[in-house]
Amino acid sequence: MTHGSLQRNLGILAGTGVLLVLSALPAVAQDPDPLAKLETKDRFVIELLIDSASVAGLPSNALRQMALQGIAKHADGRQIVQAVRKQLNLLRTAREVLGPVDDQELTAGASVLSAGAKPVQLAAFRPRKKGRNDLEAFVVWADFLERKVPSEEAFSAISKLWQDGADDDTFHSLWTNVQSDISQGLNPGTALQNRIREAPGRASPVTVKPPEGAAGEPKLEMI
Amino acid sequence: MNDSELHPFVESIAREARRPVVTDPAARERIMAAVRAEPAPSRRFGIWSRFVAPRAFTLSPAGGALLAAGLVGVGIFAGSLAFNRDGQSTVGRSQVAVAPQLPVSDTVVRFIYVAPRATTVYVVGDFNGWDTTKTPLSRTSTEGVWSVTLPLSAGRHIYAYVVDGTWSADPHAPLAPDDGFGHANSVKLVRRGSSS
Repeated sequence: MTHGSLQRNLGILAGTGVLLVLSALPAVAQDPDPLAKLETKDRFVIELLIDSASVAGLPSNALRQMALQGIAKHADGRQIVQAVRKQLNLLRTAREVLGPVDDQELTAGASVLSAGAKPVQLAAFRPRKKGRNDLEAFVVWADFLERKVPSEEAFSAISKLWQDGADDDTFHSLWTNVQSDISQGLNPGTALQNRIREAPGRASPVTVKPPEGAAGEPKLEMI
Repeated sequence: MNDSELHPFVESIAREARRPVVTDPAARERIMAAVRAEPAPSRRFGIWSRFVAPRAFTLSPAGGALLAAGLVGVGIFAGSLAFNRDGQSTVGRSQVAVAPQLPVSDTVVRFIYVAPRATTVYVVGDFNGWDTTKTPLSRTSTEGVWSVTLPLSAGRHIYAYVVDGTWSADPHAPLAPDDGFGHANSVKLVRRGSSS
């Protein structure tokens, strides 16, 4: 290959590259990432938080979904950043409290904390049997808190059922009955107390103490 | 130091070294003839050597810029193949033909909302990237029952309905905590291989 032909080939390669760049420009300009709707500084912070979650082994998609939800609900950038930061802190706390659970359970645990449960209460669910999944329990627990069931009563009921080995259907039935009673006007705490007596395992709405060694309540980290 | 001061042994070596070498005038011709008689070296790697042999070439600044642009273009193209729109790697993942933004799933879930007077109902959640126009429900009865069926991955999904532009939680599903955006969400738990 002569010097001249080498240069000619390089020229062809460079030309091809330029064409590729030009063809990619429209796609870049459209930017299909919905996060592009955020202001640059807010997007930067959110992507930083998402990266932090990834590095920490936390489910970063939960943060991304939080940001997308904020965009969909027309929240301002500051609100969205706050929500994403709060979610990251909740995930960190849930990880610290629950240990090595899967992403779904971790996110559900964070949701329980977000609803008002204390980390020390969530810690009661750390010792688990192999293969057990607590998604349903956490979803029902968070729902009760959202429906203004007193925090201690909600924790007591859910943790007692959990200790008795209640299955997903039991938790779901409890939720169905309690939300039905609440929608008919019954006091949320009373509704739960009434229904928990009927639940399999005869769980009683007595206070369940958090496990030994869980007294050190993790604090929410602020970053 | 001159020759008279050299050690006799060294002096004898120097004397030998100074003695002119007598060469056969025909020796050069004989050597060259022998070289010509040798077979030419094998050219098995002749083509390959064209590519691996070092060579120098000149490149103008403009040519260098074009070459760099070409490499960037190749990088963008490769990146667009290796990553999906969520920035998640698609390398090593099974590719299943599902609607964009919907996760790979083996579970079909039906969303139902009752709104007799509504003109549009959408379901919006983490399964469609919180896109408020991506997943409309269809009116399935004159009583105002709206529904849509979606493939969802197993696990916990957060969602809400947008009814004539207004956000609304599912009255028949557990509530998710308020995320600070002022509208309640619902939770759908999808068990693997089930349909609901």
